[in-house]
Amino acid sequence: MNVEISGLTRRFGRTLAVAGVDLSSGPGVLGLLGPNGAGKTSLLRMMATVIPPTSGSIRLLGIDPRGYGQRRQIRRRLGYLPQNLGYYPSFSVAEFVEYFALLKEMPAARVPAAVAAAIEHVGLPDQARCKLRTLSGGMLRRAGIAQSIVNDPDLLLLDEPTAGLDPEQRVAFRALLRDLGQHATVVVSTHLVEDVGAACTEVALMDAGKIVFHGTPDELTGRGEGTDAAGDAPLERGYTAVLAAARAQPRGQAGTPARTQASAGTQASA
Amino acid sequence: MTAMTARVARAPARRVWLAGPARLLRLELRRNPMPWTLPLLAVLFWVSTYRPAMSNPPLWNVRGSMLQAQTMLTFAPVLAGVAAWAGSREGRRGTTDLVTITGLPRWAGRLAAWAAVTFWAEVAYLAGVAVVYGITAHQATWGGPLWWPVAVGAATGAAACAVGFAAGSLAPSRFTAPLAAVTVFLALGAGAFALQHGARATYSQIWPLNVQGAFPKDSFGIFYPFPPDLSIAQLMFAGGLGAAALGAVGLPAVAGGRWLRAAAAAVTIAGLAAAGTAVGLAGTARLEAHGIVIPALHDAASDRPVRYTPVCSGAGIPVCLQPAYRAYLPEVTTAVGPLLHELAGLPGAPTRVIQVAVTSVQEGPSNGIEFGPPVISGTPPVLYLPLSGLTLPGEGATPAGFAGAIQDNLLPMLNAFAGLRAEPGSGVTPRPSGSGATAQLAVAMALAQDAGLLTRIPPGTPVAGTAGSVGQSAGSLPPAARAQAAVANRFAALPAATRHAWLLTHLAALRAGHITPAGIP
Repeated sequence: MNVEISGLTRRFGRTLAVAGVDLSSGPGVLGLLGPNGAGKTSLLRMMATVIPPTSGSIRLLGIDPRGYGQRRQIRRRLGYLPQNLGYYPSFSVAEFVEYFALLKEMPAARVPAAVAAAIEHVGLPDQARCKLRTLSGGMLRRAGIAQSIVNDPDLLLLDEPTAGLDPEQRVAFRALLRDLGQHATVVVSTHLVEDVGAACTEVALMDAGKIVFHGTPDELTGRGEGTDAAGDAPLERGYTAVLAAARAQPRGQAGTPARTQASAGTQASA
Repeated sequence: MTAMTARVARAPARRVWLAGPARLLRLELRRNPMPWTLPLLAVLFWVSTYRPAMSNPPLWNVRGSMLQAQTMLTFAPVLAGVAAWAGSREGRRGTTDLVTITGLPRWAGRLAAWAAVTFWAEVAYLAGVAVVYGITAHQATWGGPLWWPVAVGAATGAAACAVGFAAGSLAPSRFTAPLAAVTVFLALGAGAFALQHGARATYSQIWPLNVQGAFPKDSFGIFYPFPPDLSIAQLMFAGGLGAAALGAVGLPAVAGGRWLRAAAAAVTIAGLAAAGTAVGLAGTARLEAHGIVIPALHDAASDRPVRYTPVCSGAGIPVCLQPAYRAYLPEVTTAVGPLLHELAGLPGAPTRVIQVAVTSVQEGPSNGIEFGPPVISGTPPVLYLPLSGLTLPGEGATPAGFAGAIQDNLLPMLNAFAGLRAEPGSGVTPRPSGSGATAQLAVAMALAQDAGLLTRIPPGTPVAGTAGSVGQSAGSLPPAARAQAAVANRFAALPAATRHAWLLTHLAALRAGHITPAGIP
């Protein structure tokens, strides 16, 4: 398992952003769905070792990140795309990606090829020498994705990666996700259920800091069948139905384990 | 997503050999804000250093001092501001999360960014040094570059970058950069003010813009090697301050692991200790005839005179100067010539004039220092003439003003030649007491008038240099002084040959105090 999380909570002042999450995941693409404020970004930031959990345990790539040395080991094998991508406008795309490759302590000899490959993966080779300040929002997002995959990570955490991408790029990006999921654990936080349906082997749905559903996209689709849940697509109806069911349950029972199988090596419960 | 172009594939491959840290530094160097400020630094350098330096005498010590003091007064605030801007980059650009979760300790990454900022700052500074020293090399008549002031300037620049960078890193904001620049400027200004108005507080000597305290910048490093004591202390101070600032960047929890943060704390403490030690050493500094001496750092080798071949005027009594002052030989010869002519042939008259280093130093009434006057000594007698403390032509004085200042300095020597004894250690001639001393002073005044050092004194008129002794100012003349002035005028009015003949026969008695004013023709 690349991700093993147990009883994870994170509190910001009086706000409980993550309220006890259990999650295990191996190679594959895990889609993290949920409404605004569900705790997806907080969970991702803990998985990215940006912030420590308030309580609970977490093991990433088989390593406990509580020690600094262990965190460094994890970080060398980690890719992360934050929701709000910060960037240096005066850097070119290639320099931006190279910068993070070097910060991730990639062997210097491997950096040039890795940078070129990452830029190619996101479809920006023609813009490799362009300053970031000259790029569109979608291109910036792709540059951010390139920096996250430059070190060929074993654990890739993407927060809203397709925001701002045009349909053609989103299709290409889904193919990239499927490719990366062959050998790495990819966790994608998104609002776009069609991305999940097309690219993810597993789906976890968060609400109010808890995981209220975990299964395959097909299973989520099945939750919406035969209900009058709102949504234009079957997966959307499943999403709405699960959320409605979770919110209808008495307080304290929300998040009853929804997992039915662990075919993709991913298990979750709340 | 799309096919990679050959251009992208080729470009990085050429630099495969570069190691990771070198590549990171190269990136930081290429995308650094400091190069954008190079035009501003060039303008500041031209205004603050180049123009004043070129209008000053081509002496290495004068130019070197400017490169430390004036350049850094204008450079350091800019460097601190730009470094603060670079240091606050992650906070301003929202990349903190991204860089925090990378394998490389954040402190190391930050140090690379600081190194790039400092590299460009030093390039700008050293380019200015090269320009000024290059031109000076063509203009100067003697000597070579002084590197201690340049080293202190470079260290001050690096420290300013470190302090600014730390401020930007620890408190990232768009306002950090201007605040850092203003703070550094005010701090440097406060230090300069403390130096100007509190010379006795020797701790303030440590200030990085201070070259040799109140010691004239055209006088050190000429007859003796540049005394590096204060420069060493300043290097310790700047280095310590910079190290402490850089160490502080590594203290936050996100900067690295426990050991790395402990190392950062150690660097901070060591830096503060070094800076504090330097301030303590500056507290022991004392002004000596060669410059500022700090006993704990002093090397006796710097007390050995520098060997040189003097440049001398060809005709009459030779006037010999240190070759760095070659350009001023005509002015000096013109200034001392009439007096030498007046004294020529008399017992004890100088047969040669030799420029010397400062003969003695004492603290002046405000922040300045006073130097010993020219003296005649030795066999055969030699007039030892220090030019220290005089404003040279080009430093603000005209050639005539420079010659006048030399002549003013000769007046005490003339008193001594006539037999008046100075108060021990003061260099000031006392008011004459007794008729013998009055006669001596009257003769000295007369000789000064004839040599053009003083104008003829109308009896009863307040004239500078007549109340009690030559060289001292006065209000209205008392009756005794009027009588003394009348004797001086009478003696000065004699034909030169008559006066000279009288002096030849009576000078020994005059010096012994046996001649009264009535005995002077």
